[in-house]
Amino acid sequence: MKSLRRLIYPYIAWLTVLIIIPFLFIVLATISTFHIFNSYTFRFTFDSLRFLTDPIFLNAFKNSIKFAGITTVICLAVGYPVAYFFANIKSKNKTLYVALLIVPIWSNMIVRIIAWENVFKPVSILNLFNLSFDMIGSDIAIIIAMVSMYLPFMIFPIYAVLDKMDHGYIEASRDLGANSFQSFYKVTLPLSLGGIVSGIIMTLLPAMTAFALPERIGGGTTILLGNLIEKEIFRGSFSTAATVSFVVMIVMLGFFMLIVRFDKEGETLL
Amino acid sequence: MKKLIEIEGLTKSFDDTLVLKSINLYIRENEFITLLGPSGCGKTTLLRILAGFESKDAGIVKFDGNIIDDIPPHERPINTVFQKYALFPHLDVYNNIAFGLKLKKMPKDDIEKAVKEALKLVKLEGFESRNVKTLSGGQQQRVAIARAVVNKPRLLLLDEPLAALDLKLRQDMQYELKEMQRALGITFVFVTHDQEEALTMSDTVVVMNQGEILQIGTPQDIYNEPKNKFIASFIGESNIIPGIMLKDYLVKFEGYEFECVDKGFDDNAEIEVVLRPEDIELKPVNGGINGVVTDIIFKGVHYEIIVDVNGREYIIHSTDPQLVGNKVSLSFDKEDIHVMLR
Repeated sequence: MKSLRRLIYPYIAWLTVLIIIPFLFIVLATISTFHIFNSYTFRFTFDSLRFLTDPIFLNAFKNSIKFAGITTVICLAVGYPVAYFFANIKSKNKTLYVALLIVPIWSNMIVRIIAWENVFKPVSILNLFNLSFDMIGSDIAIIIAMVSMYLPFMIFPIYAVLDKMDHGYIEASRDLGANSFQSFYKVTLPLSLGGIVSGIIMTLLPAMTAFALPERIGGGTTILLGNLIEKEIFRGSFSTAATVSFVVMIVMLGFFMLIVRFDKEGETLL
Repeated sequence: MKKLIEIEGLTKSFDDTLVLKSINLYIRENEFITLLGPSGCGKTTLLRILAGFESKDAGIVKFDGNIIDDIPPHERPINTVFQKYALFPHLDVYNNIAFGLKLKKMPKDDIEKAVKEALKLVKLEGFESRNVKTLSGGQQQRVAIARAVVNKPRLLLLDEPLAALDLKLRQDMQYELKEMQRALGITFVFVTHDQEEALTMSDTVVVMNQGEILQIGTPQDIYNEPKNKFIASFIGESNIIPGIMLKDYLVKFEGYEFECVDKGFDDNAEIEVVLRPEDIELKPVNGGINGVVTDIIFKGVHYEIIVDVNGREYIIHSTDPQLVGNKVSLSFDKEDIHVMLR
């Protein structure tokens, strides 16, 4: 065992260099005038926190919440029935069918984003079918693309819980007088709550911090938190970028605490 | 007594495997009936068809005189105690037991009273707010029973409910279940592969094997007059000896003629005789069936003695020990000779 323990050292090194140290820089940048090319004006200050009341930040924050929220609700509404259906497949090829759900994740996300961008452009391959959209920059285009990106992340945790659930619970509830609808919302649904919470977080967090997707599909006019961080960095304002990152991290931490509360065994975390 | 369940020609198969072969059975009201058989004999499938979880291929199942094919499980006045209990892990003991009553929209005060009574019945008073995951196997079992009987079903199905409990607990529960059935006046259908359980609790035992009912009778009937070799060997230990039924009340085996209490076989029919180990007494050598003690094992209440009679081994249970090598004679009463067709 002791010799095996050494195998963890590469990870610790990776964690230190790529996560802990950069994180400390973010903390430093949040509470100072830190700038990577300019150390002469360095001083500690909480000035950057004022950015959190700036309309630019508030707009990006609102957009992030709005798009991530709507995407998550749609993903849940679409994804739960899909997860339920796949969990109840009684075929020998079940694994194969479930694998089909993962296939979309196998292609690079940027490729899929650019594919959607082309769909929403007035001039696209769809013209061959006499179809043409002019939707770049519209809310609906962003939401459609986001749902297609994050749907598998909603389906899988829910599927994992439903698939493992003992069918005996459902039979027991039917036996005790529940019709199939009552059986679902009194037993299946509460027992899959852990998967739902995991799915919501797995969808909500990446959607909130989405960067490339709003950049391409939003046509540069719809700014989410991820885009704001990028803009602030290019503007040379490390402190405000770090502050926004910090806010995102705290939100994520909050959600993570929630997941741990609902799913003590961590069985739904893929 | 009134027939609560009538089953005629019930047939069921899973993927070409016939698991129930034209079952005929009726269950009377207030009866404690046990379906007994080895695993895979179809007893659980029969239970699941009664509960409504499994459809049938052919035959008639009547409840109270009405065919119940189209009645879904939740509308049947039948409740089940599942083998693995299937207590809802997201609900506490109180809400598990109240589950069925809440669905029936019973007033809250009545539910509280009923749950309290049910908990008292299963001797778990004060357990209302306990998490079911923290209960022991025996306690979970009791909650499962309470959750079923609180609905006052006409018929309670029990699917090997004691299989997961240890011996002592199992014996206590056998007694308690029997008491409960008497007190509640509910018809119990109990499924088990444990012959001792079946004999201890039941009014009627239904012995099944390979999708067929082999014998239906009281525990005494089944034990004393097994219909065939399978039942004789499945229900307790027995010595099975081939013989010939010379005529009514006269049977010949091991080269001797014995008076017996059996009749109704053809004269000179080839039969088998069942002699229970505890019915045979060992006597000093006399004119009867003689043999040599080859082994003796102490079993607590009795000794298990193996006697070799001309190459055939007999098992005898006796409270008196014997020495290996002793020459003995087997003695039994005519009532202890049980004859069945070969």
